Amino acid sequence: MTHVVALLLYIGSLILWFRSLLAGGRGRGTAIAFGLAAAGVAVHAFALASFTAEYGRLPFEGLGPSLSTLALVIGVGLLATIGLGEGRRVGIVLIPVVIALESVAISLGLQPFSQALDFQGAWFGLHVTLAFVGLGGLAVAFASGILYLVQLNELNLKRMGRLFRFTPPLTTLDRLVRVALVTGFTTFTLALALGWLWTISFRQSLDQANPKVIWSVMIWGVFAVALGVRAGGGLKERRSALASAIGFPVIVIVYLGLRVVGSARGFFL
Amino acid sequence: MSLLSVVGVSHLTASVGIRERVAFTSAEARAALEALRTSAGIEEAVLLSTCNRTEFYLYPGSDLHVEAAEAELSKKAGELVGGIEQYLYRHESTDAVQHLYRVAGGLDSLVLGEAEIQGQVKAAYALAKKVPVHPPLAGPVIHRLFQSALAAGGRIRSQTPIGEGAASVASVAVELARKIFGSLAGRQVMILGAGATAELVVGALERDGIRGLVVSNRTYERAQELAGKLSGKAVHFDEMPFALADTDVLVASTAAPHPLVTLDGFRQAMGGGRARPLLILDLAIPRDVEFAVGGEANVFLYNVDDLREIVDDNLLVRRASVSDAEAIVEEFADTFRRWHDARDVVPVIQNLRGRWEAVRQSELDRLLKRLDHMPTGDREAVAAFSKRLLNKLLHEPTSRLREGAGNGRGPEIIDALRYLHDLEDDGPELASELVEESQRQIEIEEDAVRDIEGEKERIDTSD
Repeated sequence: MTHVVALLLYIGSLILWFRSLLAGGRGRGTAIAFGLAAAGVAVHAFALASFTAEYGRLPFEGLGPSLSTLALVIGVGLLATIGLGEGRRVGIVLIPVVIALESVAISLGLQPFSQALDFQGAWFGLHVTLAFVGLGGLAVAFASGILYLVQLNELNLKRMGRLFRFTPPLTTLDRLVRVALVTGFTTFTLALALGWLWTISFRQSLDQANPKVIWSVMIWGVFAVALGVRAGGGLKERRSALASAIGFPVIVIVYLGLRVVGSARGFFL
Repeated sequence: MSLLSVVGVSHLTASVGIRERVAFTSAEARAALEALRTSAGIEEAVLLSTCNRTEFYLYPGSDLHVEAAEAELSKKAGELVGGIEQYLYRHESTDAVQHLYRVAGGLDSLVLGEAEIQGQVKAAYALAKKVPVHPPLAGPVIHRLFQSALAAGGRIRSQTPIGEGAASVASVAVELARKIFGSLAGRQVMILGAGATAELVVGALERDGIRGLVVSNRTYERAQELAGKLSGKAVHFDEMPFALADTDVLVASTAAPHPLVTLDGFRQAMGGGRARPLLILDLAIPRDVEFAVGGEANVFLYNVDDLREIVDDNLLVRRASVSDAEAIVEEFADTFRRWHDARDVVPVIQNLRGRWEAVRQSELDRLLKRLDHMPTGDREAVAAFSKRLLNKLLHEPTSRLREGAGNGRGPEIIDALRYLHDLEDDGPELASELVEESQRQIEIEEDAVRDIEGEKERIDTSD
């Protein structure tokens, strides 16, 4: 029930984001939308804490809880933009992602696997948390990248309409892309390192054909590309924004593809 | 003959490419006005030449005067396929007066309600005053017309919300800069040229906390002067491309006849490409920055026509106030027309009163000689009676004459009065008195305009 309340708060926030967009960012619409999103994150966190309390497990087990946790991390990523003024408006892209993840999570059911996983413990918790923070960073970079490209397009088309007024400044968005990518890349790399160390320590070998491994390496590659294209002059900000905007949907699509394959083999999330 | 003629081109009839061909410098404007006096014998005239319009105001209006002004525009435009005529508009009489009031009020501006035009109208009038001809081109009618236009513009801005929101070139520039850089704190601005609009833009940017201001101008002394005024640093014109490398916002507004920032020069100055965004606001006509520079990485180039397109959305609120502003335009135009018509009527009234006052005095003197035996008090009562009687007798014809002047029947009633009362032509003394009276009224209005402008400036600063 609390997940549904959180979802409703996110939906309310999204409606206000769009109303604010239609008003060209004028008025208090964005502040209220951000407030509703914050309330959604609080309720959502409470719901996941309740999950842990109820089942005695971290909310990483099972696809439903995992997606919900990822949604929460992305929501927290939005809250991290609170000091960025207009930068908070990345919520208009992030909140739909959060809503989509939370909706799928609710529809799949928010129960853990019937059997506890054999790699429970601090390593596992840290590994998954860092990976989710990395993914959250990529989501924020994706949202900022999209808005960067929108604003760049508006400036190049020399329009000063509602979209132009609503969309945050280029430099703010570029800073968000950069910080999100650096944070995400760092945490995700740490997550991979932890996962590799754990596997080597307890399983002696890493199954390179494991879809999880393939997907993880791919995410790492997306980060590397999005950060790598920032090197050099010219339109590095645009290249990075574009890589972030494309990279996130690509890893979602690849995940879905791998899941189909992995489910058949019975070992993917 | 009509009250006034206007002929010209504006952003509504011609593209920037055409407008820049008929953009007059101050010296060219003076020469053109002088030529109009010489060739067509125009009594009074003003040339308003801004980025968005070039138009002649001609008094009195006539086909001959309009044709002479068109010839000046055509000469300035040079060889043009189809001729400049296809881009021209003309207004006559009250329409022409209303047009000027609309222009001054920003109703005809590229950016609806923008305030810079008020200063440009004032400058155009001041320029006409300086043309060395006698009698002056800024004669009593043009004087009255332009002062009332400035008053109308002030009233429109103070009594309607037409000036609200970011829709002037300066505020749009600030909005663009904010959408590129976020905060303007720590940004470097370069001003190229010394146009009034550029100064306004820089002033607006400064309020957002820019780090530094560099001023470059063909005349180094002028650059130093402006730099001193704006607390900036002057650079020599040939160093400008290199200073550009450290610039975040370039405001170009020179009167140069060709681009000053070329693609080759820009690339040379930037070396390996532009590493951070550069906003270029090319406010000049002809343009100061080559179009191709806008295609460079991280360069956002806007010329005056671009600004026209991007402000449309900002104008929705302002548009809602247009009908109120139009009512003010009509009110001022009506007042001006009455004033103009009254110019013919007042001497007639004074002549009429003078004639019958002389008769009264003469008859009174004759009567009082015969009533010498009467006490002084009674004699004074008789004199007062004669005055009252004359006033009552002349009150109705005077009122009807003023009324007739207001509804366009002035000349016909004047003729009738002159015939019926055997009035002589209005003497030069009377005309001179009228001009003095007119000047007094103008001074009062100028004070009012200054008050309004002062108030407007105060409001802008507080924003």
